[in-house]
Amino acid sequence: MKGLTLDAAARRIVEIASGLGADETTARVSKGSWTELQRRDGKVEKAQESRSLSAGVSLLVDGRYSSHSTSDLRPDALQGFLERAVAATRFLEPDENRHLPELSRMGAADVDLDPIDPGQETRSPDDRRAAVEALEARAQAHTSDLKTRSITSFGWDGASESALVTSHGFDAHWASTSFGLGASVSLEDAGGKLPEAWTSYQARHNDDIPAPDTIAADLAERGRGRLGSGPMESGRYPLLLDRRVVSGLLRALMGPLSGTAIFEGRSCLKDKLGERIGSEAFTLLDDPLIPRALGSHPHDGDGLPARRRVIVDEGVLQMFFLSVYNSRRLKVPGTTGGASNLVIPPGDRSPTALAADRGRVIRVDGFLGGNSNASTGDFSFGIQGALLEDGKPVRALSEMNISGDLFSLLERYRAAADDTWTHGSWRTPSLLFDDIQFSGA
Amino acid sequence: MSLPRPAGLPGAYFEQMGVTPEVLRRVLDAALSRGGDDADLYFQHSASNAVSLSDHKVNQVNTNVDLGMGVRVVVDDQVGYAYSEDLTPEALVAAARAAAEIASGTPGRTAANPLARAIPDLYPVAQPWDAVGMGDRVKMVRGWEQAAFAADPRVQRIEAYLADASTIIMIVRPDGRLVQDWRPMTLAMVRATAEDGGVVDSSSYNVAARAGLEYYDPERQDRMVKEAVERTLFLLKADKPPAGDMPVVLAAGPSAILLHEAIGHGMEADFNRKRTSIYADKMGKRIANDQITIVDDGTLENARGAIGIDDEANPTERTVLVENGVLKSYMYDEISARHYGVEPTGSGRRQDFRSAPIPRMRSTIMESGPHDPGEIIKSVEKGLYCVSFANGQVNIGAGDFSFYMRQGYLIEDGKLTRPVKDVNIIGNGPEALSRIDMVGNDLLIDEGGWTCGKDGQGVPVSQGMPTVRVSKLTVGGVG
Repeated sequence: MKGLTLDAAARRIVEIASGLGADETTARVSKGSWTELQRRDGKVEKAQESRSLSAGVSLLVDGRYSSHSTSDLRPDALQGFLERAVAATRFLEPDENRHLPELSRMGAADVDLDPIDPGQETRSPDDRRAAVEALEARAQAHTSDLKTRSITSFGWDGASESALVTSHGFDAHWASTSFGLGASVSLEDAGGKLPEAWTSYQARHNDDIPAPDTIAADLAERGRGRLGSGPMESGRYPLLLDRRVVSGLLRALMGPLSGTAIFEGRSCLKDKLGERIGSEAFTLLDDPLIPRALGSHPHDGDGLPARRRVIVDEGVLQMFFLSVYNSRRLKVPGTTGGASNLVIPPGDRSPTALAADRGRVIRVDGFLGGNSNASTGDFSFGIQGALLEDGKPVRALSEMNISGDLFSLLERYRAAADDTWTHGSWRTPSLLFDDIQFSGA
Repeated sequence: MSLPRPAGLPGAYFEQMGVTPEVLRRVLDAALSRGGDDADLYFQHSASNAVSLSDHKVNQVNTNVDLGMGVRVVVDDQVGYAYSEDLTPEALVAAARAAAEIASGTPGRTAANPLARAIPDLYPVAQPWDAVGMGDRVKMVRGWEQAAFAADPRVQRIEAYLADASTIIMIVRPDGRLVQDWRPMTLAMVRATAEDGGVVDSSSYNVAARAGLEYYDPERQDRMVKEAVERTLFLLKADKPPAGDMPVVLAAGPSAILLHEAIGHGMEADFNRKRTSIYADKMGKRIANDQITIVDDGTLENARGAIGIDDEANPTERTVLVENGVLKSYMYDEISARHYGVEPTGSGRRQDFRSAPIPRMRSTIMESGPHDPGEIIKSVEKGLYCVSFANGQVNIGAGDFSFYMRQGYLIEDGKLTRPVKDVNIIGNGPEALSRIDMVGNDLLIDEGGWTCGKDGQGVPVSQGMPTVRVSKLTVGGVG
């Protein structure tokens, strides 16, 4: 496949599979290149160059479905791979719901998502070294008053590109760049503990990455926040959920929204469409069309044009994540198979101001393990964070759990702050909840 | 496709793809061309198949093939890494030159002629997967579904899959070492969703081993189905336990997730070399009750965590980490072993050719102690008995760890009473280890398909533990 464009390579796979008897084929060929550089305590610890090229293929053979992937694109190997794939598919039971969506429904959103930073291609090893060295220097400066064991700084950038071709004539192309810069610090603390703090910023464009001094200051603040941590007494407290870890708690909502969980009857939301599942203050959107955002894309996994959707509107559940397949299995109209950018609209007050209203508040800024049960909505996660009094941190917390169920959690949601996080596919501000169960000492 | 155990001498498999001894030397010389201290080439060809059942139909098969080479260049403790999915000599040399960028001198050595070495066979297989037809797999999975529905009328849905994977790796070093390992794996899962009086819940059971079809003897297949159904039905009548600190008794087997998170990761030598582990200053010191001996063992035949050779070409072994409560050894890869002036423990592992090796666990086990498990439960007035688990995590430096209990029981006056479910349990690793005050005589190596994540790399591991009592842990319940 060497020398072919991605589109031509995908088309070639479709041709081979069709020739082998596949009734429908979807081929996706992807390539990527990344460079990572990591420094620790004044010298390079690791440098990595990655170049990858791989193909994914979905087949429908006599009404039977299979999916395959390979990084072995030698022509003979690919031929054999597809022969075995087609042959294996014939042993299955037919699945009437797997056929491709009608061509007329497929396409890309007509929005400029600005996913490519043209500067990525010409970035030099010196540029990369300079960024990570600058961050390391600033991190050392900002933590000079702390007892540090080790400081690690890292940066990466890369480009990826993929082509999607179907046997019924659809094709699409998507390319993006990404950049990241971050650091971690290990600190000496009382009792021989060595708490660590880290921070990391990712973006499609390099100029959306904050300056090294900003990142270093953030690292140092997070490091100070880990010192002297421990559990406090179990009880119910207001919760301020830091903007960077909203997904850590709201993943308890994402599991039950998945089309597979709905179909298999193991979702606590399966009968809740159109019903209130939380406070009127709670609104959640899926928006794949935000320029430069990490979760944006022009078409979804089924090749349908991406569009903005409301998941929960003022507390009322509006949709499940239903791919074409799951919507057919459930015999209901489809939406999209998976999340892109998850958005909670910001409020107009700072997290500190929101917390100050509540007196004593637990701010959660990290999770440690835990899980949730999509069938019941129950969740229980390990947390770290701080006790806030009048909005100010007065005590670092760790070795505590947050527990409850999805419905009570969303019912106790109160407000969003004004500090939307833009360096992840969860684009949410910090969130305030009342009366949440914590267990500790 | 399942890759059969390769015939011929080690090295012959990749030589057929054009990777001749001459090519290997050229690539190694390119890796050392800027004066790197050492280098390794890691070739990998793997193939996997999974047959899945949903909605009463065995209606999906997924296959994956991966082929490539990763090259690492080491200068002191600095690592340059690159990989190629294209095994032509030009592409391999280009990757080696990219990895060599970490160094900035003149070449100090050239590669010796590669010489194959034999390694132990830790994965005897009676019925290899390449001889098992797709139709037979479909039939097996279908059989699990039928047995699960027959087991209880409250079962509403069954999902299941059967997967096998085989990986052929070859590692070549400039000192002439060439080793090859064929690593089979199989993994199977049954998930049940059940309903009773409006209450719905779902649970699953999975098993994994480096074995062939013979692994699925009738007894194991029955157990998979029975456990999936019983665990699900259990959840229908279980509640959340109360919140707060309490004594916790961990049942033998999967409870070793505590061992893995609270203790295992902190004993990986990279964290200690960087002095960021809470165990960095504890070598030779007492860190646990003298009933406690912990090993990390790469040699357990057919175990999911077994490796015939580690991913740096160092021999695998049974490493005693804690002996009668005293810290005896970390798990060393080459870089950390050199730092400490000891031999590597065969603990250098990687997810695949796209990643550099780091110290990892294999099969982490706490040896049996003196107590009868019944006596341990009886000793607790009010506490929690944990039976099965989903996942865990640890902060290495601070030492706090957590693990998520799927099912358990309250202990009241020395007896198991109310069934409880879905709570996270949290504690501090060294504290938890020091609070293990009773160790049972019933070591059980769990058969589940555990995967350990570190630095973005997942590797298959096993774990085992006898029943133990931890005098205090924080349970994330309610009220």
